[in-house]
Amino acid sequence: MTTYIIRRLLLVPFLLMGVTILIFGMLQFLSPVERSALYVRDFPKNEKALDAIIKRYGLDRPMYEQYWRWLVGVVDVATGERSGGILFGDLGYSRTSSQPVIDLILSRFPNTLDLTIWAVAPVILVGIWLGVQAAVHQNGIIDQAARIFSIIGTSFPTFVFGLLMLMIFYANLGWFEPGRLADEYMRVVNSDAFRHYTSLITFDALLNGRFDIFIDALRHMFLPILTLSYISWATFLRVTRSSMLETLRMEYVTTARAKGLPERDVIFKHAQPNAMIPVVTLAGGSVVGLLGGVVITETVYNYPGIGAAAAKAATTLDVVTMLGFALFNGIILIVANLVVDILYATVDPRVRLS
Amino acid sequence: MSDLLLDVQGLETQFRTPDGIVHAVNGVSFGLKEGETLGVVGESGCGKSVTMLSVLRLIASPPGKVVAGKAFYRGQDLLQMSDEEIRHIRGAQMAMIFQDPMTSLNPVMTIGRQLIEPLMLHLGMNKDQANARAAELLEMVGIPHASERLSDYPHQYSGGMRQRVMIAMALSCNPQILIADEPTTALDVTIQAQIIELVKRLRDELGMAIIWITHDLGIVAGLAQRVLVMYGGFIIEESQVIDLYANPSHPYTIGLLGSLPRLDEIERQRLFSIEGMPPVLYNKPTACPFAPRCKWVMDRCWQENPALTEVSPEHRVACWVDVKTGKAR
Ligand SMILES: Nc1ncnc2c1ncn2[C@@H]1O[C@H](COP(=O)(O)OP(=O)(O)OP(=O)(O)O)[C@@H](O)[C@H]1O
Ligand SMILES: [Mg+2]
Repeated sequence: MTTYIIRRLLLVPFLLMGVTILIFGMLQFLSPVERSALYVRDFPKNEKALDAIIKRYGLDRPMYEQYWRWLVGVVDVATGERSGGILFGDLGYSRTSSQPVIDLILSRFPNTLDLTIWAVAPVILVGIWLGVQAAVHQNGIIDQAARIFSIIGTSFPTFVFGLLMLMIFYANLGWFEPGRLADEYMRVVNSDAFRHYTSLITFDALLNGRFDIFIDALRHMFLPILTLSYISWATFLRVTRSSMLETLRMEYVTTARAKGLPERDVIFKHAQPNAMIPVVTLAGGSVVGLLGGVVITETVYNYPGIGAAAAKAATTLDVVTMLGFALFNGIILIVANLVVDILYATVDPRVRLS
Repeated sequence: MSDLLLDVQGLETQFRTPDGIVHAVNGVSFGLKEGETLGVVGESGCGKSVTMLSVLRLIASPPGKVVAGKAFYRGQDLLQMSDEEIRHIRGAQMAMIFQDPMTSLNPVMTIGRQLIEPLMLHLGMNKDQANARAAELLEMVGIPHASERLSDYPHQYSGGMRQRVMIAMALSCNPQILIADEPTTALDVTIQAQIIELVKRLRDELGMAIIWITHDLGIVAGLAQRVLVMYGGFIIEESQVIDLYANPSHPYTIGLLGSLPRLDEIERQRLFSIEGMPPVLYNKPTACPFAPRCKWVMDRCWQENPALTEVSPEHRVACWVDVKTGKAR
């Protein structure tokens, strides 16, 4: 297992380099004026100023030199200050949100992570269990309900579903609100008395013992969670169910029964671990969909995460900000794939031992 | 109570399929004495596996269902037991091994874990005792460096070794009966012979009764004392092994023996096999199920399905024709 993980980790630098080259390549489509945002805050006012910037940051230099500058930035000889340099966390300046791109990402990402955790964890814990139950009690109540739900789930696009939920529960019933927190709670969270252990509001609220804030946060997140996760519910249920049905027909399941094992052990110890292999593959594939879902969901519910910020940057053609997000997304994908591969090796010894 | 270890009477098993109800086993009765080895032969699809799986209540339901019959093990009807009771029989009293050792072991569980399960379950061993015993069992079935190989996964074993593991697992709790469902069919010939030798040796050491299912009458000859020949979910001939080879009395058995290459035949006849395919029965047959393929077929064969009748001591056959004379019995 350790060798497998090490081998897999050795791949990561290459993947990262691939991502940076890709993003850098896209930056080349921008005019030098736009690219200046990688290094300076203010738009160059005139030809002269622009020329100075181009000279100073080497925006007219050969590609590989520019790439290198983009990676490590340019240090001012006089002040010793570095500008630019993605390796040092400087992704440029976001003109639409008037702050460095990295600050924008760091302030928004916890909200997105909070939302994603609450969207994904129940699917993994409950959705998979339901899928197993649907297979074990084929044509039972759970199975029938799951089937209907799967059809509905896979036939609604996310934005349609989101708008529908918004119409019913927000506009007509007034049960849930868009946004992040009620104003009075927002004030508490921003006060000094509230300790930020994780930056994730739901978890911090629990750790601070503020159950009321936790509930309010969930109330605001409920519709986004639902919108973001309903497709995952449908697909995980379906894949778990069919994989489990197939596994239950395997001869080793009969072997397990022939040993005299109780049915509980046959299902959860022998069949389920095997049935999880395709589910892990699905999980790997779902990450990309989830990132796309985050953009739509956050925009529909006006939820202050990176998805909404990226959408805003895109609609205002703030390309430097967008590519900053793209880079960040790339890193997330690489990490997520690493996690999935390790999970894969955990569930299937044939992967890690070959 | 009879002196039989296992006494199966009138077993009927059916499967509900989209095409109709498949009558897989149609009233099978047989007995097994203590320490005896019983061969069960017949072409693919004649109901050998389903019969044995039915006895252990391992038929998946749906689509399968045992619709009639009794299966007494030491006087207790397995088919009437609670799920809990039958679990204490499975693995402990009656163990089963399967045809394909590539698929009958759990691929994501170590060999060791699979081996210790029945030991802990039926013999109440703790983990350390069970692990030690598992290593002994692997040693017993001839796997070298056994204790180091407990932490391996099935894909790290060869086919023959996996079947040895299956045998070790089946015999781990000293069962009275071992049911072997074509355990050598998927293996190549030399490995086949080794596995059969292994089972013979273990039978001598442990004294369990064996039900050995196979296509291959040649294997049965060297292993079993008694043979059941099955066709279309019926037992159509039952005999001591020597008598079956000397006086095969059902046209189907003769066909099976004919398709067996014999080394002692000086004048090699053309290897003859039975024309046609075994039937899948969607209705309980009213004629002899073998009639469409039978060389000796008579009018009566199309009207009535013959029951097993004794033709000589301990030799019973279900056929209207006396194959020696070619006339009705
Ligand atoms: N799950 C099932 N669903 C439907 N029909 C089945 C099922 N299992 C077995 N059968 C039918 O039962 C009959 C007997 O099958 P069985 O597996 O007992 O044959 P067999 O004698 O063991 O053959 P083989 O030598 O190929 O193992 C076959 O006609 C088969 O089609
Ligand atoms: Mg079979």
